[in-house]
Amino acid sequence: MDYTIGNIAPIILLPFAAFVINAFIVKKVPKFAVGLGCITMFASFCYACRVFKDFVFVTYSADYYVHKVFTWFDLGLINGKPFNVDMGIYLDNMSAVLLLMVTGCALIIHIFSTFYMEHDARFGSFFVYLSLFTAAMIGLVLSENLLSVFVFWELMGFCSYSLIGFYYEKEGAGNASMKAFMTTRVGDVFFLVGILAIWSTIGSTSFVDIYAAIASGAFNDLTVVGIPLVTFSAISIFLGTIGKSAQFPLQVWLPDAMWGPTPCSALIHAATMVAAGVYLSLRMYPLMEAGGITTVIAYIGGITAFGAATIALIQTDIKAVLAYSTISQLGYMVLGIGVGAYNAAFMHLITHAVFKACLFLSAGSVIHSLHDHHTDGHVQEMPRMGGLRKKMPFTFIAMLCCTFAIAGFPFFSGFVSKDRILGDALLQALDHKTMIAPAVLGFIAALLTAFYMFRMMFLTFYGEPRDKELYEHTDVETLSWNRNVPLLILTVFTLGFWYSGSLTGQGLVKFPGVEHKEWFSTLIKKPDVEKFTKYKREAWGSTDSRDQFFEKAHYDANHGMTEAQAHHAHHVHHIGAIMSIIIAFFGFFIAYMMYIKKAWSPGWWSSKLSPWYRALQSKYFFDDLYIKVIIQKGLLGMNNFLAWIDMGIYDRYIVDGTEVINRFAYRVSNWFDNKIVDTVGVDGTGASVRLFNVVLRTIQSGKIQFYFMILVVVLVSYIWTLV
Amino acid sequence: MNGSSNLLNWILWMPIIGVLGVLFIPKAKENLIRFWSLFNTVISLAISVVLYMKFDQTVPGMQAFFNVDYMWIKQFNIHYHLGIDGISLPMILLTSLLFTICILSSWTIKKSVKGYFALFLFLQGSIYGVFLSLDFFLFYVFWEVMLIPMFFLIGIWGGENREYAAVKFFLYTFFGSILMLVGMIALYHASAGTDLGVNTFDILALSGGKFQSLNMELFGYTFSFSKLFFVFMFIGFAIKVPVFPFHTWLPHAHVQAPTAISVVLAGVLLKMGTYGFLRIAFPIFPAASVYFANCIAWLGLVNIIYGALCAMAQSDVKKLIAYSSVSHMGFVMLGLAAMSIQGMNGAVLQMFNHGTSTAMLFLLIGILYERSHHRWIIRPDGTKGFGGLYTQLPKYTIIFIIAMFASMGLPGLSGFISEALIFLGIFEFNKTITVLALFGLLIGAAYLLWMFKRMFFGEVIEECKAYTDVNAREVLYMSPLCVAVILFGIWPSPVLNIMKASVGQLVSLMSQF
Repeated sequence: MDYTIGNIAPIILLPFAAFVINAFIVKKVPKFAVGLGCITMFASFCYACRVFKDFVFVTYSADYYVHKVFTWFDLGLINGKPFNVDMGIYLDNMSAVLLLMVTGCALIIHIFSTFYMEHDARFGSFFVYLSLFTAAMIGLVLSENLLSVFVFWELMGFCSYSLIGFYYEKEGAGNASMKAFMTTRVGDVFFLVGILAIWSTIGSTSFVDIYAAIASGAFNDLTVVGIPLVTFSAISIFLGTIGKSAQFPLQVWLPDAMWGPTPCSALIHAATMVAAGVYLSLRMYPLMEAGGITTVIAYIGGITAFGAATIALIQTDIKAVLAYSTISQLGYMVLGIGVGAYNAAFMHLITHAVFKACLFLSAGSVIHSLHDHHTDGHVQEMPRMGGLRKKMPFTFIAMLCCTFAIAGFPFFSGFVSKDRILGDALLQALDHKTMIAPAVLGFIAALLTAFYMFRMMFLTFYGEPRDKELYEHTDVETLSWNRNVPLLILTVFTLGFWYSGSLTGQGLVKFPGVEHKEWFSTLIKKPDVEKFTKYKREAWGSTDSRDQFFEKAHYDANHGMTEAQAHHAHHVHHIGAIMSIIIAFFGFFIAYMMYIKKAWSPGWWSSKLSPWYRALQSKYFFDDLYIKVIIQKGLLGMNNFLAWIDMGIYDRYIVDGTEVINRFAYRVSNWFDNKIVDTVGVDGTGASVRLFNVVLRTIQSGKIQFYFMILVVVLVSYIWTLV
Repeated sequence: MNGSSNLLNWILWMPIIGVLGVLFIPKAKENLIRFWSLFNTVISLAISVVLYMKFDQTVPGMQAFFNVDYMWIKQFNIHYHLGIDGISLPMILLTSLLFTICILSSWTIKKSVKGYFALFLFLQGSIYGVFLSLDFFLFYVFWEVMLIPMFFLIGIWGGENREYAAVKFFLYTFFGSILMLVGMIALYHASAGTDLGVNTFDILALSGGKFQSLNMELFGYTFSFSKLFFVFMFIGFAIKVPVFPFHTWLPHAHVQAPTAISVVLAGVLLKMGTYGFLRIAFPIFPAASVYFANCIAWLGLVNIIYGALCAMAQSDVKKLIAYSSVSHMGFVMLGLAAMSIQGMNGAVLQMFNHGTSTAMLFLLIGILYERSHHRWIIRPDGTKGFGGLYTQLPKYTIIFIIAMFASMGLPGLSGFISEALIFLGIFEFNKTITVLALFGLLIGAAYLLWMFKRMFFGEVIEECKAYTDVNAREVLYMSPLCVAVILFGIWPSPVLNIMKASVGQLVSLMSQF
């Protein structure tokens, strides 16, 4: 049984082909372009399902991976060794799960977009970008090396830029798209530095080679600008994550990204692209660990999770709440990486993608039906909503389930994943004093999350409609294949057992005799770098034998810990779980008291904590700092100054100033030429000739008497001298 | 030894045949002149393609098959010597492609059509000459001759301030040329003292570090011959690149020049400077080049950052793109300074890729200028010069996006690969410079996106409502560049394969010093 490239390549090639074809025909036949986009997405999803089945279900062992490379281009021999730049596929359990999530979410969002974007003037163009984006994201998931990750990473950034600026008639969309691209590019530049550092050290950027290099100590004792190379590259690459996953301090772009159409927010700015940053850090986890920056990562994650959650508390725009909630949840994933909850961070990536995509689509469904006839625009402001559950029962159910999930209620997916991250954070906090802060921030953020999500639910769906006219004009939702069905499908996957349970029974099959059956924790494991020192690259056209890696698979229920440690960890996790449940219910309770019972007044809190409230309103002043101070005062001021120096001073006075030297030289030489050479020299010759002329003319007068007189004078004076 | 192919003669003299043709066509028959010029450049392009197909990519250095070598002035041992290798071929292809496109974009020239096209073809011929010459004297002749058509093309067909710009361009370049001339004559005289035994201008014969141990007296001081004249040559070529602080002619020349001339200027002429390093300064003075490599790298870094920062402050689109050229040529300098396989290949590739992407941007600005007759992003009085072009000109905008992202090095478009290679090369050479230079990428994206935002987003402003989208002719000449930019972004091997053997040879020469 062989696994060939033919099974994998269509996953990316289909959406990419749709992009290429649609780019040319979209203006002529937009409907066809939409259809093509959706169909190729469906086909791609089917291929991804097959990969998922092969990897996650019974077919392959837990350690199985496919790794194939081809040479993108080469530069001949360098020091006798060929310098090849490779591209290729690296597919393991993690990528297989991620592929299913990406293609699944993308498919659902494609379908929903046919509803949401239908009346848009650029219905077709939207799908062109969606196809390109999906292809790029799939490419990133399949990438076998950092360079190829970077390529697709930037391509996604481009798609994100284009889709945020999709409504380009609006000035704000232009600003938001530029801000998003530039902010993430700050991270990208550092990411590129990290890639260069690794590339120039080990001559490759392949994950496999990096793992092997870490295991064999190839990075040891090397430094870059005074920092150990491994730390340098780990920080650089993590800065890429900070940019792409909107972590503190580069979180500013994501809320503005909500200028894009809602389905694009769901796909790019909730489910996939922003999660790609986390995925990168997970892939590079051995590097982060070797670089010793996990504590930093945990702090960044904790601060982000907490900070964004606080800002979400006061947002009134439904998409803004979700945007900040996304930042906060991404913070959880990063926190998870920082505390070593590798498996849980990845699980949260998946569960979050599903429930956040669903939340965004539900918000889209709400926004789409609230049409303001006065301004001919859609309403996103929650103060104008209220009581909508009667008008939109399906959307309400979907959104409610997702809210349960994100708030971490038992039996929902968010609980399963978030609880594990918090459990590990707690475990770390008990062991190390330095890790207390991130854990505390994580738990507080969990409380805030439950509160602001239910606040959003209550403001939107409960109570009396606050804008009666708007409410009256809103149609009652009916079940339709491209509006509610996609939401409900996603809703099904907000249940926890999909992730924690053993639906497949594969734990038993893959590891005979193992009781533990959770597929996630058996399949997604930290890369064992030692193992990679032995693996060899496979050529592009080769096929893999399915049984090749069976012997290497082993299941370790204690995740490399001793029995006692595992027992302790288990215990702490239990405490963590109970705490999370209490916190979630408490958050719900506060929201209930404030917005349903109206027993507690939100206004009282905001006036009591007014300095903090003001800080929240201006998003902790980050935009002011970056835009007003650093960019407008600093960068633009410096630019104008430099440009002035360049043209106004340097060019005008120094370069053109050489003309002054010229003019001076010209004057001097002119004077010399006229006065000395010409007047004295040239004209002087003339004058002297004239003078002689006068003299000679006088002498040679032709008068014989004069000659005779001269003769006499000469003769007399001669005789006189003789005497 | 003459090779069996006469192609280099054909490609060099074809534009001159074109010039003669134009001169014979009556002034009134403007369309005939245009079509004749187009025909002529297409023939040149076809010859270049034949050249590409006959070129043996595995052979490093000059290809004997194409060699053309005749004695020109016997008394001084000056040859008419043409040759081609993997470094000059990409430049020849780029020149042929851009000139064909420029003829199409010059279709709308109204003023003295005959003179314009005659000079334009003459310019093409002299540029081919620079890229093909293997005799320093011949090289110098073409280098200087190129100034003449350029001077008139800017000075007659340019904008309001054209005479100032033309004179500035001429004098600046001429200043560099004089230093180069001194260097050339010094080399000629010194060559007899080396193992060559005769006075010669032959670039290949002079190459290989023959002047390393030579010292010379000047004003009572002793100088290392190679270091002194490397600096002379460096300044000569650096003005053309342009390397900071010799860059200020560029914004003037670009802003004043007509569209096609800007394209040639940015697309080809600037590369003559870096080509000069690769062909003359580095191989003839390898030890001095290695000695000054750090200097070159720092100057390249200044170019990148300084050019990008200045670009950001511009409110004239063309000036902005002109400064972006300063910035992008800094990357080429970095790649050259790295003197490694990656860096040098990246540099030559960047020369090619910058040629295509910047040409696109200048052509696009020219297209816009034909509609708007101004180039202000923000006018001096603070009002918007353009606004909402995305809505008004959708097709134009798509081409603009491709050009802009290619220019800022988005992966998947051509600029990325060359920049990545340059960075890889320079990282091994000097890590501080690399990290600082990467901020150039950041600012590079900033000024382009900011310009794009101000011109294309938002509501269509009143005066833009009359603009028409790109027409068939404009699409025709933009599309080859779009294809090049995308194709070589995804699949760089066709260009890299041409150059890598020759670049490898140069790098191995440099590594001996």
